[in-house]
Amino acid sequence: MRSPDNHAATATATTALLLASATCLGYVETVLVPQSALPGARLGLANIAILLVLFTQGPARAAFVSIARVILVGLATGALMTPVSGFAFAGAICSWGAMVAVARWGGERFSVVGWSIAGSAAHVCGQILAATLLLGTTAPLLLFPISLALALLSGVATGLVARLLLSRLPSLSLSPA
Amino acid sequence: MTRADMTLLALLALVALLAYPAGGALAGVGGAGAVLVGPRGTTEVDLNRPGRYVVEGTVGEVVFEVAGGSLICVDSSCPDSVCVRSGRLAPGAPIICAPNGVYALDSGSPGGTLDAVSR
Repeated sequence: MRSPDNHAATATATTALLLASATCLGYVETVLVPQSALPGARLGLANIAILLVLFTQGPARAAFVSIARVILVGLATGALMTPVSGFAFAGAICSWGAMVAVARWGGERFSVVGWSIAGSAAHVCGQILAATLLLGTTAPLLLFPISLALALLSGVATGLVARLLLSRLPSLSLSPA
Repeated sequence: MTRADMTLLALLALVALLAYPAGGALAGVGGAGAVLVGPRGTTEVDLNRPGRYVVEGTVGEVVFEVAGGSLICVDSSCPDSVCVRSGRLAPGAPIICAPNGVYALDSGSPGGTLDAVSR
């Protein structure tokens, strides 16, 4: 049986590991993966790590990892304190909120894939809303349908990867929230 | 995937599907003009007159080009250059450089009316 101190240390180490993973995935996606011409339409690789944190560590740590990841990737790419980070923050906060809402109120009915779909859709909504507010025009709303459709595809994909990782890495699931 | 996951996916796909015609209606019918909007003002562009237009954004310049009756973004100072990959301007498909606060709209689209003209 693990002592409370050990449990806390394991939880902290797992969170740190997943934050590092989220940052690496976010950076790799920003730098190496060709960007879509649609604002907000991304693979969302970093969301795999956020899903794992949410599943294993709970909403508070998931929020921490989500925001810290945006800051770290912003620092690494030089985009911190630019409007790009504003969009990333808006997307991350909306995505986290939607995933927590589905996880909390959806109960056992939704799997990690459902959390991911909700998070991905909310991410696009947040980014398009941020672009609409920044530009002061409804023009970004014209891109909403296609951006949402693409986000659903990436949400399913990242959710399936997260589910696969949770089944293959049982040590991650030792400290459920 | 659970049944709830599938329902959520279908519901959101339906939202995307229903939003598409709504976006088309918002986009208008299009015309032979476009407007370039930036932090310092709005510029009207005649799509029948080839030329290059430089719009000063919040982090640098965004360069648009009119050729062959259509407008494209050819260069931008933004980090991701999403705007440069946006292709040709069309009704319902604005070119947006969000980091620079610059966008191009077909003159038939919402917000395609002029507030001011910058030269």
